[in-house]
Amino acid sequence: MSYEMIALLMFSSLMLMLLTGQRVFGAVGFVAVVASLALWGDGGSEMAFNATMKLMNWYPLLTLPLFVFMGYMLSESGVAGDLYRMLHVWMGSLKGGLGIGTIVLMVAISAMNGLSVAGMAIGTSIALPEMLKRGYDKRMVTGVIQAGSSLGILVPPSIVLVLYGMIARQPVSQLWLAGAVPGLILAVMFIAYIVIRCHLQPELGPPLPKAERDLITRKEKYMLLGAGVLPLFVIFSVIGLFLMGYTSLVECSAVGAFVAMLAALVKGRLNFRLIHVTLRKTLGVSCMFMWIIMAALCFGAVFDGLGAVNAIEALFMDEWGLSPWQILVMMQLSYIIMGMFLDDTAMLVIVAPLYIPLIIALEFNPIWYGVLYTVTCQIAYMTPPFGYNLFLMRAMAPKEIGLIDIYKSITPFVAIMVFALMLFMAFPQISLWLPELVFGTK
Amino acid sequence: MYNAIQAYVRFIYKFNRTVGIFAMYLVLVLMGILLFSSISKGVGSPQMWVIEMAQFTMAAYYLLGGGYSMQMDAHVRMDVFYGNWSAKRQAITDAFTVLCLLTYLGMLLFGALSSTIYAVEYGQKNYSSWAPPLAPIKIIMTTGISLMLLQVLATFAQNVADAIGKPFDVEQHPEETSV
Repeated sequence: MSYEMIALLMFSSLMLMLLTGQRVFGAVGFVAVVASLALWGDGGSEMAFNATMKLMNWYPLLTLPLFVFMGYMLSESGVAGDLYRMLHVWMGSLKGGLGIGTIVLMVAISAMNGLSVAGMAIGTSIALPEMLKRGYDKRMVTGVIQAGSSLGILVPPSIVLVLYGMIARQPVSQLWLAGAVPGLILAVMFIAYIVIRCHLQPELGPPLPKAERDLITRKEKYMLLGAGVLPLFVIFSVIGLFLMGYTSLVECSAVGAFVAMLAALVKGRLNFRLIHVTLRKTLGVSCMFMWIIMAALCFGAVFDGLGAVNAIEALFMDEWGLSPWQILVMMQLSYIIMGMFLDDTAMLVIVAPLYIPLIIALEFNPIWYGVLYTVTCQIAYMTPPFGYNLFLMRAMAPKEIGLIDIYKSITPFVAIMVFALMLFMAFPQISLWLPELVFGTK
Repeated sequence: MYNAIQAYVRFIYKFNRTVGIFAMYLVLVLMGILLFSSISKGVGSPQMWVIEMAQFTMAAYYLLGGGYSMQMDAHVRMDVFYGNWSAKRQAITDAFTVLCLLTYLGMLLFGALSSTIYAVEYGQKNYSSWAPPLAPIKIIMTTGISLMLLQVLATFAQNVADAIGKPFDVEQHPEETSV
């Protein structure tokens, strides 16, 4: 059998296994060990554990449980609630002001947190009820929250980019910096959209009534600014100290976890029970990630051993006569399709061993591609009718918000993200400018 | 037979829960090691053992915690179809596909055992300036994988029991079943 055929067989049996609904790590690991045994016999019998040892030596992965812990701790600490109240009072007088405030809140949460699910949970529990209460249209609010939470994995710290860095063998610090500017550009585009839309259709996002605004004294207004101090301190101690070179990547996640506990202490929420419950959630999420990555590393090792990437590159370039850019576009489209039924980790570990070497072989910049990958994934999760985030939103939002409302609210934001993605593709400098500024050109 | 298996499932649940709760506190240990690392660098005497110690802690963390994470049902599935099936159909499908999971874990354990035996016999050391022996961490990792295998065997038994309509009565802590 040719290498392309074996590769194809591996991927199709993986897809089939995944469709049975068995746990993703089991499906990936099973196909990997069977393939390794079939290809190399006894020599392949130790590949699964070798992947585990390789995983142990991959230092940046230590950030994972610490960032997860930090995220859960912060969302329990009430920091986000205070911050939202501040944004609410300061921006409430604008048309669509709460929507803008929500995006700003999401950027702040993203900068303290590495997963987009956490942002969505905070958004639905804090921002969503407020906006509905103030007469915001259903078609506006869920879109704002989903779009905002998608920034979580672009703005550093980002766990997805840590995983990408591991698979692509790229420095995580550069990936993080590469995600920062595109993340902020997206946030600005979202805000611009909310402003314009609410200006044209004020009923979608009415400003706070004058009577309510007058209730808040000027003094109170300035006092509320204090709510911004704690998040700024958290962001500074994680990203600031890292960029200034005081902490390494892994150390900055430990500092973050520690500072999150401090923040909870300052807010008077820290107790033994909270720590216990947070540690348990952290264990669940970390184990989910780690066991998938462990299985995927084994899968990737089998795949590398096949040398199938070269065969596929030759197939695309020589036989089908595609240009590198056509292949790139094809890859991005395939993400949109896969995003309908896979979550981000699964998608990353399954297709990355195939796509990332191909990207390098096609002489694209893998750091830049990390940004494209992240944005495309987020688009994929939000594209109706199927998308991972859409269903998550449905599960988290109050009953009166139907799936149709969610579809309607998300469509303009998806359009913005597609436009932004094309921008990032056409101008790699948007992503690469900051890492090159900090680390110098290669 | 039924009662014996039920006793096994209950035992494994209890045992892995205890191990898992121990493991989940390792995050705090990890945090401590890394904070120590940045402080020791800050005062100008970097320690060479911290990185490896942190890596060992991490490996112990997610491998020993594996069984408990299975109990919490923390592992994602692709549930486009699966999510819409009846509980019975899910159990029947799982009873078959969980065998694939067991195959993977079996191979993992096979590799872990042979690697651990090698490390013990030849006193294998990590290739670094600190050069710690690898046997202890490999023994911990092998233990974690074995416990995961035992947990998945219990899951298999539960799937079969659910599929034939005679589910086991296993004490589950309600706050632990959703992540």
